[in-house]
Parts: sequence; structure tokens; C-alpha cells
Amino acid sequence: MNENRRQILEMLAAGKITANEAERLIAALESEPAATEGVFTGNIAGSSGWSGNDKDTPVRTRAKYLRVLVESTEKDGPTTVNVRVPMQLLRAGVRLASLIPAQAHEQLDASLSKHGVPLTLSQIKPENLEELIDHLGDLTVDVDAKEEKAKVRVFCE
Amino acid sequence: MIPNVAVLEIENPHFHMPRLWLPLILLWIPLILLSPLILFVILAACIVGRVSFWKAIATFWGILCALRGLNVRVTTHDSKVLVRIL
Repeated sequence: MNENRRQILEMLAAGKITANEAERLIAALESEPAATEGVFTGNIAGSSGWSGNDKDTPVRTRAKYLRVLVESTEKDGPTTVNVRVPMQLLRAGVRLASLIPAQAHEQLDASLSKHGVPLTLSQIKPENLEELIDHLGDLTVDVDAKEEKAKVRVFCE
Repeated sequence: MIPNVAVLEIENPHFHMPRLWLPLILLWIPLILLSPLILFVILAACIVGRVSFWKAIATFWGILCALRGLNVRVTTHDSKVLVRIL
């Protein structure tokens, strides 16, 4: 028997808690493992994220694709965009950015910030690439514009 | 691994192209034949742009290999575009 469950039953037997309270506590205990399992996104084999040695530790697999889904309803009818980009292509794309000469970087940064994108391309270096890609795995963007009847979803899978 | 097949489909009110399965592997034959010329052009571009030739080759090869799995599908009420790289 689980140690926590035994303690709850002992408290109930000692009259420290009522039967209803004991029931609620046990229900809360039972819901904990289920919540942890909900974080699992794949098998342990091949995951480069956290180790799966501890049973209660969430396991993350590395995302393989970046997905962009757009659904909008216009006057003429619905429009859908479904894009799946391999993460490997993003990695290669960042490496391509490292080939751009420094002068061009400055011009690009200035042009991006002029258009409202405060991004410094020169700061994206190959050594930081894996960290950047790994954090993309946590990315989920949901835009739901009810007035324009458009829905945008960006996520990794 | 380099992509072997591309799937292309374009459809609009004026033009309907059936789904095409393009064997990209056939493109390698002319590319291999033209490789000395292509490499020379890349080398010249690298010298002009002051970029490492080997780094450029590795990057472009990486992009080419990473294209596998790319999937773009755009559908409107009367048009459809599908591009898949396998």
C-alpha cells in the first residue's frame, strides 16, 4: 500500500479526519500520477530531454517538426494553411544565417527593427542553436481572432 | 539523406494540375554532370562574399538533406496548393 494512503487511513482511524476528507485526500493522491502521465509525449527511447529513470519524472521527446496551422473564414469561403517544417531545416537555416557577412547582418537587423521585429541575427550563433531548437519544443502559440474569424496555431510535434 | 520524391499539386479555377510525383533522384544525373561548373560558381561566390567554401557547401548540403518531411498545404475555397518533399 502507498505510504500516503496508509497515513490517510490511519488519520481516519484515529478520528483526526472525517470519511469525506479521507475520500477527497485519496482522490487527490490518485489524480497526481495521472497528471504526470499527461506530460508524456513519447517513449523514453530516443528522447534527448530529461532522463526517464524516475517513474514520476516527466519525459520529453525532441520535437521533429514545427507546425503552423491557420484557419480563416473569408467572404468567399474558408482558407486553411497547413505547414510542417522539419526542425532539421530550421537548424540548417540558422547555420545559413551564420554565412551572412557582418555588414549584411547589420543591415538586416536595422531593417528588421524598422519593421517592428527587434531581432539581432548576429546573436544567433551555431553554439546556441541546439538550446534554441530545444526551447522551440515548448512553443505553442494559439491565436483565436473571433472578429476576423481566424485561428492560428504554431506548435512543435 | 537527400530527398527522393517531391509531390506537387496546384489547382485553381483556371488551371488544374493533377498531383505530380516528381522523382528528384533523376535531377541528380544532370547535377552530377554539371557539378564542376556548379562548384566553380559556388567557389567564386564564396571568394567574393568572403565566406568559407567548405562551410558554405556543408550548409547547403545540410539544407538539402533537411528538406525531407517538408509539407506545405494551402487551401482556399477555389484553389489548392500542395508541396511535399519525401
